[in-house]
Amino acid sequence: MNASTRREFLRTSSWAGLGLLAAGCAPKVSDFARKSGRRVVVIGGGWGGATAAKYVRLADPSIEVVLLEPNKEFVSCPFSNLVLSGQRTIESMTFTYDGLRAHGVQVLHETATMIEPDARRVRVGAEALPYDRLIVSPGVEFQWDQVEGLAAAQDRVLHAWKAGPQTVELARQLQAMPDGGVFVLTIPPAAYRCPPGPYERTCQVAWYLKHNKPKSKLIVLDANPNIISKTALFRAAWAAYPNIDYRGSNKVVKVEPGAREVTTELGDKVKYDVLNLIPPQRAGTIAVTADLVGADKRWCEVNHLTYESAKHKNIHVIGDSTIGLPVPKSGNVANAMGKICAVAVTSLLNDKPVPTMAPGNTCYSWVSDREAIAVVNTYKIDGGKVVQIEQKLTPGQSEAWAQNAVGWANSIWADMLG
Amino acid sequence: MRVSTSGWLVVLVTLAMLIFGAGTVLAGPLDMPGAPQAMVCSACHGFAGQSRSSTIPILAGMAPWYFKKAIQDYAAGKRTSPEMEPYAKMVMQSGIDDIAAYFAAQERAPSPVKVDPAAVERGRAAAAQCTVCHGASGKGDASKGVPDITGQSPGYLRNQILLFKLDRRSPGDDQLKAVKALMRTIPDGQISDLASYWSSIR
Repeated sequence: MNASTRREFLRTSSWAGLGLLAAGCAPKVSDFARKSGRRVVVIGGGWGGATAAKYVRLADPSIEVVLLEPNKEFVSCPFSNLVLSGQRTIESMTFTYDGLRAHGVQVLHETATMIEPDARRVRVGAEALPYDRLIVSPGVEFQWDQVEGLAAAQDRVLHAWKAGPQTVELARQLQAMPDGGVFVLTIPPAAYRCPPGPYERTCQVAWYLKHNKPKSKLIVLDANPNIISKTALFRAAWAAYPNIDYRGSNKVVKVEPGAREVTTELGDKVKYDVLNLIPPQRAGTIAVTADLVGADKRWCEVNHLTYESAKHKNIHVIGDSTIGLPVPKSGNVANAMGKICAVAVTSLLNDKPVPTMAPGNTCYSWVSDREAIAVVNTYKIDGGKVVQIEQKLTPGQSEAWAQNAVGWANSIWADMLG
Repeated sequence: MRVSTSGWLVVLVTLAMLIFGAGTVLAGPLDMPGAPQAMVCSACHGFAGQSRSSTIPILAGMAPWYFKKAIQDYAAGKRTSPEMEPYAKMVMQSGIDDIAAYFAAQERAPSPVKVDPAAVERGRAAAAQCTVCHGASGKGDASKGVPDITGQSPGYLRNQILLFKLDRRSPGDDQLKAVKALMRTIPDGQISDLASYWSSIR
């Protein structure tokens, strides 16, 4: 066995994994009921969790990593607005977890139902997975009760804010809408996942309507007083879309799918042919049931160096669920947190000092079929806290930024899952 | 005592790890100084600086002097990039020497971005002008401040030739006067061909 095959062999061999490989079946929760070596359990295989799982294995292949993710495939939220305008297929941003398996991550397509911090166990129904350290990356959950009528209409009123079947269905509804129809997009109050996302979506829907249904219009009802990200750049981009009717400080509080109507806080009623209602958000459900959220009952406070929960020891929280860092809820930030947390967790498990690492954020938005804009934020650690070094915006929109956006997407998808 | 199939495999793997030296894996790829700080770069530049994207350069195997000058020029706005300026400032604050050494120590694999074979052939025919400085191999000469351009991402090479030609990369930099004078003689139609050729060289 030469050096490289030996590395490959060791990289892919973990106790349970090799046994299961021989048995020729997918791993089950019960296979991990007991723990022989050191184990990190990761809840959630999105931008944060997938990255963390991979990087723990890269940092120390002697640590067993079990990833709990109910979905069989990863679908990227970044770039998914391009599905609405028909520029991309959902398949072009859908990936398997095979890359993580090749790094020796044990991927279980299950939902974590409870965390027992004192026993250091994650419950999956009646079964339990012991851990040495737990990384929780549950993304966001929607606050259905914040909009009257929404809870009962979840199947008809689309959010398309978790990329997947809803994205495809919203694109279908947009295509099926008669010319002259009204598309209503509603934006929740900050904080929510991906601050510029709704404004990029506005561009993509407006672009589609302009080129395919010129008599139609797009009404944007924003709970925030103004565009909350890349404001001037989006305003400039929207000059090309007179079909956009943007209304700031128009928080939607009620939806009536039967009447095809939403009501704002001010009492205005707005009729729609197609509705995309992005609900208010909080940390993913497991963060709430496991008492990881703070006084606001929405988001999780963490240590800025290790991402350990402010509420429970040996549990780390990363990604959109966190609060208190001056970072946006973006995929790029979740990816950065995943790496930093992975290094912190491996260092702690090896009794080594935790290196000082800060996240970065690179965020592109497509403003047409071929042009993009971007914002970049970098950070440092100062006094134990994440602080911003600089924010920089592109001076305008261009095809060159769009090329960089494609390069970024291909790179970061591979960084998480490859 | 009853031992399951997977139990026997555990025993076998344990033996294999003892025989083949499990201790070697404990020094992971992230243990080098600079590796944790360089991790933020991998979102765009690929793991260990091995970019797979056309317009994003490969940092693996990059000479430390070249990496450091690039970071300093981006941070100072001499190389204008809304993406790189904030990250360059971050690198300068988080340990530029260690990060430069980390990327220099990574083995460079050529760009996986596919280029048009016809463009490569056209570029080959025009590449002699580049070899005056970058050498017949294209590997450059660190002592003269000339970088290795082989296997680099094609879109990145194309963009840099254009930026040199338009004097929009580090304007007024004396070291770059000669290269910019040469770039001004390259017809626009030839830029992609040259980039494709050098990207294809192994």
